[in-house]
Amino acid sequence: MADRYVETAYTNGYEFTEGSGYQLPEYPFVEPPEIRTGQPGREDIVIVGGGITGLTLACALARLGVRAVLLDEDNTVGVKGASSRGIVYTQKSLEIFQRLGVYGRIADKGVQWSVGRTFAGQDEVYSFDMRSQAGFNLSSQPPFINIQQFYIEGFLVERILELGQVEIRWCNRVTGYREDDAGALLSVSTPAGDYQLRAAHVIDASGSRTPFREWVGASVTARKGDDRWCIADVRFTQRPPVERHTWIEAPFNENRAVWQHLMADEVWRIDYQMAPDADPAHVSREDVVRERLARQFGEDCGVEIVWVGPYAYRSECIDQMRHGRLFFIGDSAKVVSPFGARGGNTGIADADNLAWKLAAVLRGRAGPALLDSFHAERHEAAQENVRVTNRTARFLRAPEGIERLFRSAAISLAKQHLFARQLVNTGRMAVANTYTRSPICAQGGGQSVQNVSFQFADGSTGTVNDLLLWTSGELLLLVFGDIPAASRQRLRALCDSAPVRAVQVVSEGHPQAVEHVRDPQGHLQGACHVFGHAWALVRPDAYVASTGESIDAALVHAVAAAMGMSLSEGATA
Amino acid sequence: MKTRLHFEDADGFYEQLLDAHQGLSHEESDLLNARLILILANQVGDARLLKECIEAAAKFPPAASGG
Repeated sequence: MADRYVETAYTNGYEFTEGSGYQLPEYPFVEPPEIRTGQPGREDIVIVGGGITGLTLACALARLGVRAVLLDEDNTVGVKGASSRGIVYTQKSLEIFQRLGVYGRIADKGVQWSVGRTFAGQDEVYSFDMRSQAGFNLSSQPPFINIQQFYIEGFLVERILELGQVEIRWCNRVTGYREDDAGALLSVSTPAGDYQLRAAHVIDASGSRTPFREWVGASVTARKGDDRWCIADVRFTQRPPVERHTWIEAPFNENRAVWQHLMADEVWRIDYQMAPDADPAHVSREDVVRERLARQFGEDCGVEIVWVGPYAYRSECIDQMRHGRLFFIGDSAKVVSPFGARGGNTGIADADNLAWKLAAVLRGRAGPALLDSFHAERHEAAQENVRVTNRTARFLRAPEGIERLFRSAAISLAKQHLFARQLVNTGRMAVANTYTRSPICAQGGGQSVQNVSFQFADGSTGTVNDLLLWTSGELLLLVFGDIPAASRQRLRALCDSAPVRAVQVVSEGHPQAVEHVRDPQGHLQGACHVFGHAWALVRPDAYVASTGESIDAALVHAVAAAMGMSLSEGATA
Repeated sequence: MKTRLHFEDADGFYEQLLDAHQGLSHEESDLLNARLILILANQVGDARLLKECIEAAAKFPPAASGG
């Protein structure tokens, strides 16, 4: 049966590379024990797909001490050859990576940026500097880091190996899936033969071409357009550009859009909008790419081409992100255009959302209903990201006629008037989506908490992530201000009986609780979206589950709800 | 959405609007109109009100105004 495993094709529009290109790491194939024994393996969690989403989930589970198996059809990260893909990682993603222990390497390798300029023709339409925006400057992580996706994937692989718990099986391709009374059953093909795996939970992170949708009959809402682009990732031997620039109408690209971004290794991504329905084979031919680069940077610009990737995009959103024991995350669940970096970043958020829930349920600290909240929360996010990216696509690929007319009107106004810049839509950068209809969030819940800093009792600086590492998958209850004696007793009883750890937060004066921190500038309180005497219940994924004022039954209910359990009225009266 | 008279000077506005289009090509007129819509929309600002205005314009003519 060994001939059933077919090596993955060199896909994703990889056309050619020159110079040093990229050297992707290769990981060894190890024969799974099931092939020798002939018996199906049994796992609590099987993750399918070792892209950025699957690896983030695997790493998050490993950090929480939860065993899992990850199956990847390939033996490397990225796409074979000289891969690039996602390049912009947002603050929320960087905060997640900090918790997973790979942020330092990302920050060392990647490029921080905050200034962006948008042009139409020869004129600058507007520019922005993220550093000056209040919403971004309090986190311990910057607004954005640009880095090739495969670097992050490689860092995650090494971190997973370091943490143990998760077994990554390279060159293991899933060829079938079904669910019966005994659980989920996966058929897997490897170079050494085929085997089966039984799993209590299966997470499909295999990407936009996932076979799982068909296997479980998942319905999808989709839209396809005729917009075509072609990426050239290049190094300049002379006169490199200086900033992130965006052209809506570039004179050197037949008045179509162009993106210019720096990432690690001094590689610039130049992304060109092509004519509608352009032939990918033609637009990615080396002489055609070189001619395009020369038109933008001059005949003598001296570029080394690292990677060329022509692409078309579509938007797809699965209607149910959970099908029984199967969960869809990342591109398996939804596919969006690249504008605003809403693909990879929201996949990372999918993984971080699911990881702590799986861990809590498997450890018996949460009710099984907690897993349903994954769909409620992340499907709302997926729909929002599809909506936002479709709007950008409609602006950038405005058809001739009325849509092009309004775009011309908006661009010409934006050059003169501040208000009209908001109409110029070159992409709305990914944000931590808010959950407005989550069954596990109560009053004041559903918003992300930035990784701000405060002072520990001993005067050293701490961050929200430090507290979340300390709670280790349990809930974090932050109580702001004084705590009366009766409330302290109730808090102690709550923490003894429920998976929650409490910390008192004071701005000045004497704290009453043993576990306390100081927040003299109110950054922690602001990050939790509360004011004055209040509590905020923070989840392991740095989202507020609920907020309130007094230590009462509402808090007890919020704790239960956040863990997927409902309390009867009598239980807390 | 206001449907009663709110103009200070309806005839004056109408004349100004026509004058602004004097001597323009069809394309230039279209662009002027588009710019004007965007500028006016920003004066309104309110999302619900703008939605009502767009719907009122899109549904025109109402069934009752046939004669």
